Amino acid sequence: MLIEQLINGLTLGSIYVVVALGYTLVFGVLNIVNMGHGEIFMFGAFMGVIVTNSLGLPLYVAFLVAIIVTGILGYFLERFALRPLRGKEGVSHLAPLISTIGVSIFLENAAHHFFGAGNQPFRTSFSELNITIGSTTVYYVQILIFVIAILLMFGLTFWLSKTKAGKALRASAENLAVASLLGVNTKRVITQTVIIASAMGGIAGILVGIAFNSVNPQMGLSFGLKGLAIIILGGLGNVRGAMAGGLILGLSETFLVAYGNSGYRDAIAFIAIIVILIVRPQGLFGTSTSKSKG
Amino acid sequence: MLSELINPYYLQVATFILLNIILGVSIYITLGTGQLSLGHAGFMSIGAYTSAILTLNYNVPLVIGIIIAAVFTGFIGVLIGFPALRLQGVYLAIATLGFGEVIRVLFINWEGLTNGAIGIRGIPHLGREILSFSESLGFSPGMIGLKNNQFVSLAVFLVLLIISIGVIWFFIRQSNSRIGRAFASIKMDEEASEAMGINITYYKILAFGQGALLAGFAGALYAHLTAYISPSDFGYHRAVEILIFAIFGGSEVIWGPIFGAIFLSTMPEFLRVISEYRFMIYGALLVLMMAFRPQGLIDTNVVNWIKRPRLKKKEGKHGTGNKKDK
Amino acid sequence: MVLEIKKISKNFGGIQALTDVSFSIEQGEVLGLIGPNGAGKTTMFNMITAMFPPSSGEIGFLGQSLSGLKPHEITKRGICRTFQNIRLFSELTVRENVMVGNHCRLTTGVLQSVFRTKYQKQEEENVLRNSDEILEIVGLSEFGQTIAKNLSYGQQRRLEIARALASRPQLLLLDEPAAGMNEKETNDLFDLIKKIQALNITILLIEHDMPLVMRICSRIVVLNFGKKIAEGTPSSIQNNKEVIEAYLGVEEEDELA
Repeated sequence: MLIEQLINGLTLGSIYVVVALGYTLVFGVLNIVNMGHGEIFMFGAFMGVIVTNSLGLPLYVAFLVAIIVTGILGYFLERFALRPLRGKEGVSHLAPLISTIGVSIFLENAAHHFFGAGNQPFRTSFSELNITIGSTTVYYVQILIFVIAILLMFGLTFWLSKTKAGKALRASAENLAVASLLGVNTKRVITQTVIIASAMGGIAGILVGIAFNSVNPQMGLSFGLKGLAIIILGGLGNVRGAMAGGLILGLSETFLVAYGNSGYRDAIAFIAIIVILIVRPQGLFGTSTSKSKG
Repeated sequence: MLSELINPYYLQVATFILLNIILGVSIYITLGTGQLSLGHAGFMSIGAYTSAILTLNYNVPLVIGIIIAAVFTGFIGVLIGFPALRLQGVYLAIATLGFGEVIRVLFINWEGLTNGAIGIRGIPHLGREILSFSESLGFSPGMIGLKNNQFVSLAVFLVLLIISIGVIWFFIRQSNSRIGRAFASIKMDEEASEAMGINITYYKILAFGQGALLAGFAGALYAHLTAYISPSDFGYHRAVEILIFAIFGGSEVIWGPIFGAIFLSTMPEFLRVISEYRFMIYGALLVLMMAFRPQGLIDTNVVNWIKRPRLKKKEGKHGTGNKKDK
Repeated sequence: MVLEIKKISKNFGGIQALTDVSFSIEQGEVLGLIGPNGAGKTTMFNMITAMFPPSSGEIGFLGQSLSGLKPHEITKRGICRTFQNIRLFSELTVRENVMVGNHCRLTTGVLQSVFRTKYQKQEEENVLRNSDEILEIVGLSEFGQTIAKNLSYGQQRRLEIARALASRPQLLLLDEPAAGMNEKETNDLFDLIKKIQALNITILLIEHDMPLVMRICSRIVVLNFGKKIAEGTPSSIQNNKEVIEAYLGVEEEDELA
């Protein structure tokens, strides 16, 4: 029982990590909280439903389609909601927040119109496949989720630290103006970052669809808020913090459901946001004490 | 003759526009010190539930219920305001969004008190209360040639109209005073305000508390206008809707959110298409406003421009007076 | 003695901005605080006005310690400042800026303001009259209704001073008031400072314009690399070897750069 819960918690936690990494990447480079990320993630999940359920195609096609569609959405988000605000005189630091809130509410309701308001099941051929070791049942799906999450985490870490594009991105994260002086094409780096973050959201969307076997237009908000909670828990813009934060949230939610009151499951994330912001605004793992200022 | 002019449906629409104006003003007050709150839907729900529960379970008179609800929400706002002071900009927005969601989850799960996700039905209706009150005074709508439902919607509309005018009057007066100057200066430069002797802690909490109080007040009114509330009435959509009144209309002058609330609540009535795609349009509007007119449609210049023709007339004929007609 | 700085040190994450600086200001004088860029002058201002606390040392004002007070409480005690990089409330009118400066001398609260009590009306009348008087002093009377950001640079500097004067300070801290001014404007500023001095307001002045400093200050304190290197009358400072070296050193660096 305990081990099963532990596995459930880790599965959930790794999904959260992938969602949170999308926020962290964008915040790290642009110093912007992308409120539309949750809804882009939700679109990824719907792509999974359409490709596997409606079209009956294999799961890997679903991943490809989700990555492409969410990547495009990410591009549009950057092009229309973020780029017009950049470098403009007298733009409040709240402007990108508000315009991405606009994107979030737009996408959520677009999904309402395209896909309907209700829950869509997400059945894949191996949803029910599992192995039993002793008294513990492990679903293949859980292993898949865990493996993909780990691959993404390491892939991202490797990409950031070793590749040229990743280094340009990190330089931009340090200081956009300086990076631009050093010859980094910051405009491209920014667009790239938002697209990559969005595509990761798309992958996370499919993972959530498989894990919960249900997809709906409102999931963007609830998972998006959890992603926000995690990056605040882990420190804004901190990749490792996001990983730790995601796992902590996944585990604590699973254990609350198993041994406590399931109704308050969704409150953990938000209470964590509030407590962390008040007690330790730089996040559990954040080192910089800088507050975001106008 | 009066009875032919009064259409209960239009009056209801107008009543909800007035409610939205109060909500718009509530977010404007908080924004007026540079604080972006996404928790106003949460404050609204606290007001709505407080008054609903008080009147329904404890037989508190409706007026008293609404007042207690507003004051209580304001108190919660002040409590939230203290820790929120430590947060700047984006962090404050996220924390208040989290607060709103915690409140919603709390109302869904506290079934003994709130009836959970199903919501509370049969809340005393403002209009019916007015009707039974006037009947107890020996007055019946028939005496002025009105049907009961016409009288009810007319009475409710008038009550809301008086309340809204009172609210607007209150905050216009406040903004033309020492308090208003302090709010404005804090919005423009917190540090300089502090160095000029303004206690920014006090004024930021005051603004946050006033915003919360007003949102709670509007929530309580909402409960007694619809007679039915559930947690889903006060989610993210509501928070964004309240925000957009001020973002679209403008957050520099009080007429901004008022215009925003009127315009955005009226449009869906004229065009059904808008009603269907309402939130998609809201979303697009937020993006467009930030890109092209971040201060909102109505700003100080617009207000001055509207005032100008009248001044011109006083000075003499300059031939530009017809600009007003546009 | 109006202000007494006692062994003030300030450390920013390992960088020593000020080390054991002590000096004092007498009633009615204009004290100059000079030194090359980065010497810690503005840091000193920020500590006097409690924008951040000193790492060690104490500041006394009219015989009372200022430690633990918040910036707005300092203003209320009677110390007000201007900013080196102009920080007016740019969207408010000139007169409103001055009225904000007067805030801490007013007492009306929310309800009095909304219901316009007799007391409130009286107070608002006083504020208006007061503000106009101050605008008169700094020579901005005719710009009362102008939006602050539309003023010229020199006028904005004067408005900063007017706003600070509105808080009725006993000690006024001026942070490079002549920066960016032409000769005529600087001369007007000299007259203005003299006028303020005549109002029995003590002044602590940070300034790079040496002729102005020499003309107007009764005493000068020189900082370099966060330490006080000299203190005395303008003529003694002009002939102080260490001071000359400090400034010459900077000039050499400038030439290299």
